[in-house]
Amino acid sequence: MTPVHLALLILLLPLASAAFIALFLRRAGGLASAVSVTACTGLAVAALALAFGGERNFPASWEWLRLGGFSLSLGFKFDDLAALMLVIVGVVGLCVHVFSLGYMHDDGAKARYFGGLSVFMFSMLGIVFADNLFMMFIFWELVGFSSYLLINHYCEKQSAADAAKKAFIVNRVGDFGFLLGIVMCYWLNGTVNLTELAAHHVYSSWVPLLLFCGAVGKSAQLPLQVWLPDAMEGPTPVSALIHAATMVAAGIYMLCRIEPVMTPTALTVIMWTGTATALYAALCAITQRDIKKVLAYSTLSQLGYMVAAFGLGSLPSGQGDHKVLVAAGVGAAMFHLTTHAFFKALMFLGSGSVIYGCHHEQDIFKMGGLKSKVPLTFATFTIGVAAIIGLPFLAGFFSKDAILYLAFANNKAVFALLAFTAVLTALYMVRLWKIVFLGAPRSEEASHAHEGGLSMTVPLVLLAVLSVVGGYGFFFEKLAGSVAHLVPEAGGSDHTVIFVVSLVVMTLGAGAALLFYRAETADSLEQKSPGLFGALSALKESFDAVYNYYVAKIQQRFAILLNFLDQVALAGLIIRGFSGLVGLFGIGARALHVGSLHAYVYWFLIGVVILWAYAAGVF
Amino acid sequence: MADFLFYIFAFFTVACAVGVVANRNAVNGAMCLMLCLMGVAGLFVLLDAYLLAALLVLVYAGAVVALFLFIVMLLDMQGGVKRPFKKVTAVASLASLGLMLVGVSMLGSRGHLATLPSPAAAAAPVGAVLKNYAELLFTTYLLPVQVIGFLLLIAMLGVIVLSKKFEGMEDIK
Amino acid sequence: MTAGLNDYLILSGLLFALGFFGVLLRKNTLAIFMCLELMLVASTLALVAFSRFNGTLDGDVFVFFILTVAAAEVAVGLAIIVALFRRRQTVQVEELNALKN
Repeated sequence: MTPVHLALLILLLPLASAAFIALFLRRAGGLASAVSVTACTGLAVAALALAFGGERNFPASWEWLRLGGFSLSLGFKFDDLAALMLVIVGVVGLCVHVFSLGYMHDDGAKARYFGGLSVFMFSMLGIVFADNLFMMFIFWELVGFSSYLLINHYCEKQSAADAAKKAFIVNRVGDFGFLLGIVMCYWLNGTVNLTELAAHHVYSSWVPLLLFCGAVGKSAQLPLQVWLPDAMEGPTPVSALIHAATMVAAGIYMLCRIEPVMTPTALTVIMWTGTATALYAALCAITQRDIKKVLAYSTLSQLGYMVAAFGLGSLPSGQGDHKVLVAAGVGAAMFHLTTHAFFKALMFLGSGSVIYGCHHEQDIFKMGGLKSKVPLTFATFTIGVAAIIGLPFLAGFFSKDAILYLAFANNKAVFALLAFTAVLTALYMVRLWKIVFLGAPRSEEASHAHEGGLSMTVPLVLLAVLSVVGGYGFFFEKLAGSVAHLVPEAGGSDHTVIFVVSLVVMTLGAGAALLFYRAETADSLEQKSPGLFGALSALKESFDAVYNYYVAKIQQRFAILLNFLDQVALAGLIIRGFSGLVGLFGIGARALHVGSLHAYVYWFLIGVVILWAYAAGVF
Repeated sequence: MADFLFYIFAFFTVACAVGVVANRNAVNGAMCLMLCLMGVAGLFVLLDAYLLAALLVLVYAGAVVALFLFIVMLLDMQGGVKRPFKKVTAVASLASLGLMLVGVSMLGSRGHLATLPSPAAAAAPVGAVLKNYAELLFTTYLLPVQVIGFLLLIAMLGVIVLSKKFEGMEDIK
Repeated sequence: MTAGLNDYLILSGLLFALGFFGVLLRKNTLAIFMCLELMLVASTLALVAFSRFNGTLDGDVFVFFILTVAAAEVAVGLAIIVALFRRRQTVQVEELNALKN
């Protein structure tokens, strides 16, 4: 099988599965889940075959649309970056699919869920394979749509419907900037093909900044981060797949794809956006009660890390060469993306296992003492927590170190902020871990918690293994090829500094959490210093409040004005006007039907006279 | 002599035509129509179309007008009711009269009547020989003859269908 | 004075106009029909005159057809009038106005 065929198979298998489910298996939940999981297994196997098969950059492009000089083509660009992303999406996707078999077993709308998962896999793989910006945009929108579908799974709940709407609309705002960026890129360069852009392009700061808007929306950076916490309304496996490992990572992937067009100004903006997001999210996470919300804010924070890493760009090598400008940023961001995908998916699935075990209880203050009740989940979750806070020799340690080193070398202020954020990361993650698993059970459900079946534990184990080995050189190099070579490695004294700093921040945060928080029914911070707690909570609410004000007061009024114009001008004047005109014609024609034969004969006579006059040359 | 006859027949025909148009009684009108057709038959004879003259009398005057009379008698109408004089009728009458006069005068002035061939230029009257007529009818115009046959058949069928009494159909009101 | 083609044509036009006048002004359907026949006769006269003065017989043949068609038309038209009379008990044109509006 040629690589092109393999790539096509990978792309079209989930689409076929989704179509099949949508057309025939709407009510057959069990069968639909089997179809979807089989498709995902197939595509995971094919993905591994393609990625480790060694073929790179094979030509595959088909022209789809041609309007004069403009042509839109669909094609595959399969380089090391795409291979890395493909493996991540395939493996994590498979784990989530298998986990969903157990988690969604009792759900009534299983078919819809698995269909949505298949659509998502198709869309995400489209982004991974895309070789030009237009194609990427198409699949970008598709991913947003599948996210909407899946967040809205529990569609009877008003909160779920609102969250889905919010996610889609906020994404749309980002996509608007993205589209403008694509148009501008085409206008300046005459092409949107990524390979051609890498070869030759015009430098302009607008293009990368506008394209970054898309990443701001999709990867939930400030100020468009408001949708991600609300997106936790969806089922937990969905949160694991879409809102932790893959879709939100699409923004980072897109940034890495468009790195040839980056300029220093754009990179600075990107860097500060990422840092601000990381800090803001970490601060918000400290006060959350819902286990999924904590993980959501943690995702936001880690995404901020990745974006900041990309923005930090290169090591100061003294060369002004643009090629080196972003190389290290790409490497660090993708490295962290990989490890984050593994341990965040692991933690989300672990929390899913916990939620399932506690009969869909999500408040962490109602859990507790689950260490002995769900030992496997506890073990894997602990590995995940250790990875994220940067315990040495686990995956997260290496990737976080790379980012910290990059920050240390380029911008000390950003380094300080990121280090502080690392402290907070350790703080809230250990807080979560302690309150959920340690201590005594604080509610009925917690005391009767039980482990899920094999379908829920096997993915956890697999992801835990990946979280451990994912950071090591030998593994990552085999996986990522040339991208791995871009990861910045500290050397000499810098190496020691970074090592010490990361150990210090981890101990600081973890120790503070272990000592300060007690496994009780109430939040210790809330009790000890309500002022600080209130301030941190308000931080989260502030963005929502601003947006609400804007939508309710400004946008709504504008919409009402437009509606009025529409009713009067469009519906009234034009539509009813035209129909009225036709009606007038009808009335006029009807007036001719007098019923008297003589009248008709007179009309006939008049017609003949006119013809006569014309023939006689009167006019 | 022929011209004198022409004027007599012409005058006769026009007088009867006025009678058809103006007569209140339908039976009188039908009778006037018959006489009018007689006059036209005479004019046909003057034009050397003897077959057509005979046909006119036999078919038109004999069958068609007779049919008219049948129907008039069948419907047993009580003569025209004196309708109230409507202004619109007067206007319409004047207008149509005016148009009629204009039409006839236009024919006279613009019909290039001066350049029409005179009888002296005509060759031997072809219409007098029946053989030529039949020859044309059965060679060049054979198809129209057949079609006309069909038409008559269809007309007959139509009349039969129309004159059936349909039971149970409500009045169209 | 010899009667030229002009005279026949003027006569035919006059007859036609009279017939048309009758169609416009009569109120009895049957009378209208008779005036219609008058118009047809006028046109046959014109045709025969032309055929005579051109030396061909095509006009005559055409008159033959007109005659036949007129006969068929009268038959069907009268059948319709009879059927109408059965329904509406009248043949006055003013009262046959069911298609009004």
